[in-house]
Amino acid sequence: MSLELGFQQALNGLSFGALLFILAAGLSLVFGMMDVVNLAHGAFYMLGAYVALTVVQSTGSFWLALLVAPAALGLLGLVLEPLLLRRLRGRHLDQVLLTIGVALVIADQIGLVWGREVRSLPFPPGLDGSVSLIGGVYPVYRLFVIAFGVALAGAMAAIYRRTKLGMLIRAGVEDAEMLAALGVNTDRLFAVTFAVGAALAGLAGVVAAPVFGMQPGMDVDGLLYSLIVVVVGGLGTLGGAVAGSVLVGPADTFGKVLFQEFALAVIFAIVALVLLFRPTGLLGRIRIAR
Amino acid sequence: MGGFAKNDLAEKRGYSYRLTRRQFLVATSAAALAACGPGAVTPGGSPSATQGKALKIGQLLPFTGVYAELGNSMRRATELYLKQNDNKLAGRRAEPVYEDDANVTATGLQKAQKLIDQDQVDVLLGVVPTPLAYGLRNVVHNAKMIFIDTNAGGNFLTRDIPNCTPACKSPYVFRVSFSSYQISYPIGDYVSAKGTKEFFLAYANYGFGTESAADFTSGLKKNGGSTTGNVAPPLGNSDFAPFVTQIKNQPTKNVYSFFSGADAIGFIRSWNQLGLPAAGYKMYGAGFLTEQDVLKEVKDLANGAITSLFWAVELDNPENKKFVADFQKQYPLLPDVFAVQAYDGMRALDEALKKVGGDTSDKGKLSKALEDVTFKSPRGDFAFDKTTHNPIQDIYIREVKTQGGQTVNTILDKIAKVTDPGK
Amino acid sequence: MRLAAIAAIAGGLVTFPYWSAAWESSRFATTVLRDMLVFAVFALSLDLLVGHAGMPSLGHAAFFGAGAYAAGIAGQRLGTDQLAVTLGAAALVAAVLALVIGALVVRSEGIFFLMLTLALAQIVFAIAFQWTSVTGGSNGLSGVGRPTLGGLEFNAPERMYVLVAVVFLAVAGFLWILTRSAYGRALVGVRENERRMRALGYDTTRLKLSAFVVAGALAGIAGALSAYSLRFVSAQDVGIGNSVQAFVMVLIGGAGTLVGPVVGAGVVLYIQRVLSSAIPVSETVLGLVFVAFVLLARQGIVGVGRAAWARVRSR
Repeated sequence: MSLELGFQQALNGLSFGALLFILAAGLSLVFGMMDVVNLAHGAFYMLGAYVALTVVQSTGSFWLALLVAPAALGLLGLVLEPLLLRRLRGRHLDQVLLTIGVALVIADQIGLVWGREVRSLPFPPGLDGSVSLIGGVYPVYRLFVIAFGVALAGAMAAIYRRTKLGMLIRAGVEDAEMLAALGVNTDRLFAVTFAVGAALAGLAGVVAAPVFGMQPGMDVDGLLYSLIVVVVGGLGTLGGAVAGSVLVGPADTFGKVLFQEFALAVIFAIVALVLLFRPTGLLGRIRIAR
Repeated sequence: MGGFAKNDLAEKRGYSYRLTRRQFLVATSAAALAACGPGAVTPGGSPSATQGKALKIGQLLPFTGVYAELGNSMRRATELYLKQNDNKLAGRRAEPVYEDDANVTATGLQKAQKLIDQDQVDVLLGVVPTPLAYGLRNVVHNAKMIFIDTNAGGNFLTRDIPNCTPACKSPYVFRVSFSSYQISYPIGDYVSAKGTKEFFLAYANYGFGTESAADFTSGLKKNGGSTTGNVAPPLGNSDFAPFVTQIKNQPTKNVYSFFSGADAIGFIRSWNQLGLPAAGYKMYGAGFLTEQDVLKEVKDLANGAITSLFWAVELDNPENKKFVADFQKQYPLLPDVFAVQAYDGMRALDEALKKVGGDTSDKGKLSKALEDVTFKSPRGDFAFDKTTHNPIQDIYIREVKTQGGQTVNTILDKIAKVTDPGK
Repeated sequence: MRLAAIAAIAGGLVTFPYWSAAWESSRFATTVLRDMLVFAVFALSLDLLVGHAGMPSLGHAAFFGAGAYAAGIAGQRLGTDQLAVTLGAAALVAAVLALVIGALVVRSEGIFFLMLTLALAQIVFAIAFQWTSVTGGSNGLSGVGRPTLGGLEFNAPERMYVLVAVVFLAVAGFLWILTRSAYGRALVGVRENERRMRALGYDTTRLKLSAFVVAGALAGIAGALSAYSLRFVSAQDVGIGNSVQAFVMVLIGGAGTLVGPVVGAGVVLYIQRVLSSAIPVSETVLGLVFVAFVLLARQGIVGVGRAAWARVRSR
């Protein structure tokens, strides 16, 4: 692999990784805070992409979609958490079955509303071109995805460190029961957390749509990748999601082109290798089994 | 929908277990009918109006899962054919029984068994994925059930294969769609004969993609052509940029690719994003790369791509013009190639039944009748190859062009009467 | 009394195709019931992990698939259809694979266990999908023969059913004994509190690994039964969809019980294979069923049945 090619593939890997970060951040947050593995996360991601499709088709504005889709998903999360998940606290297997059920319903309803053909979203005006970089041209949109991912990580870090919500989240990740004992309304906090998680999935759906398009089955892909990132990085922390996506994005990209015959397994081989050597993920801490 | 109609004998037996199950199914079926809405329900003729036993046509298609849209399209074409013929095939009332394979092979195999054992269909049509067609081959062969494959294109299904692994031809198996060879070898032969000898390959890494790449390559080699390398993304790959980047960093400008549906859209969009057209790269492929489902999304990004298929919606012949117009009158959609396949499946069956007076009891006779079927299809002249039961059909070399705001496959050339080698 | 009832039910189950022969739907019902029993074996094997040992594996299809391929390939390569050979090969290959994967995963817990089993199973899937010369790759492995036992053939549909039913009963009986033995109780102890079990002197890692291997071997047997039944092995048999399906069967039926996974397998296959012919069973219907089960039937179908029975008796 020549240097130019390596550089271009690294960019491909990084922009894929940035996208994975946006996708996985919400899953990680919900897991860290609520101890819930939300298997409907991929369906939320898919729904975000289709909402964006409708917004872009009716208003022509990608940027509006970037606001509307996460808001819509946030609302959905705000309804679903108290309605379904609240009564399942601590019941992990029930949460698995319930969120699989929710995912099936959402994905199928998307098919009914938007159809099951493959769709795509145009690149937003201004970001649809290419720029000259070392060794050739590179799509502006993919550079934008990298910038967006970095900005989101920065914003989330600031919120975690500087705001009361961030403080509560960090405390909740450490010990949610203690928060309740201290008089924090965890019901409300969990509903908000779940809504933010869903909104982040929706955001990822919008950002990914111009690159990957929309089709049945994208919910499962999205879920698998976000689970992989979260597990590889280490559960429940922002740093873990960053580390996971920075590793998984480029590793998947290089792995697929270098080990073509093994492309289907590359990503899972990464998971296995990381977990075998770091059983709680790259930045995971050993936690006492709950 | 008519899958649970029972004969009188069963009614009279009245096992309590069966009765409750029946009541349950009647109730749920009624709810289903209400939910289906117009278009989905078979408009069956009133029983008193027709004589004799209805001809039951099993249609095994995906209505859920990633291929749901293909199944829906094939169902629409089937309904259209029935409507145009007053729900009669060779004068016999025809009753389709649809089953959903959900794109799971095990489910599909079991549903096929259900169509055969429970519904006692007279013929079986359908099947989108190749593995399901291969799994089904022995089932229908042993049951002596006439099976008309209306999509799955794996080469082995209509070939002479020692040990019959993974599949082989059968007197009871017919195919109205295509074999991988037919949509891949001719274009390899064609382009190399015209002087374009060197190609790089890009194909989805599964049975169909590898078959297509291999057949294209042997077409090239016939005229001294060769391939210089390949990329093979896994099936259902999401990010195509890494693979297109690989293509861009090698010198062979002509690229033959096998992708369809979402993969094709992802591939073509990445191809343009990374500036391959400007760098002088040219896209060739098997026809599914640029069918309507893809063109509708990528539009002029696909301009200049040269692909081969046995049909194009723009094909200029009276049968196709009528088919497209009729389809659009019935549904607010353009027909796609899958619709043509399903429509021709019904047509081939109809023509064969006419030869045997609508009698499906002698499967050997029906098989012989099918072998002799010829008709004018929307794709052009249709006939079965009597040795393989694969169609003999014209293959069109097409180029994607945007004209008058529409991006279409224009016909460049025709390779007449392409047959599968059969081994 | 109870034993007599169980024997009667078992006898009725095994002979189903014969006493139902007069029904119009007998042949169809036989194939549906056969597939339900195949998946019941698969779900039972997974429940040994999920319900008893507290190891929620999302990769159990790896062993189902390994067994299916092993039975098919052994039959074709060795040119034999002897049940002892092909079924033995299935159990053995699945057990060895389970030993390898199990050794890597038994120390992890919770979601890490879930993801590690999923990841390793996907690697097995990738091998099955790409190793075309052995497995048939994406085309699948076709022409799998139905077995014979000595001179007894299981080619006819009724006999194939009987074989499946007998194996199902054997597996169920084996698990009944196993889960009630000291070994089974130790597994539950590990699930409830692994550290305490370790303190009590149990080698918990070995306990869990042994359970993983036993569950893998049983899943391999289920896979072999599937291969015989369908005469075909699809790469999908190893895929994540199949793993999730088994998981759902266990949860819907009720984890940690002998009847639960069997009922779960029956319900899921009934929806998928029978009900879907009468009504368009969309993913929406399936999804709503899952949600309803979680919210209304906490312990699965079996839990609801038990609660109802307890209420009736207390009157």
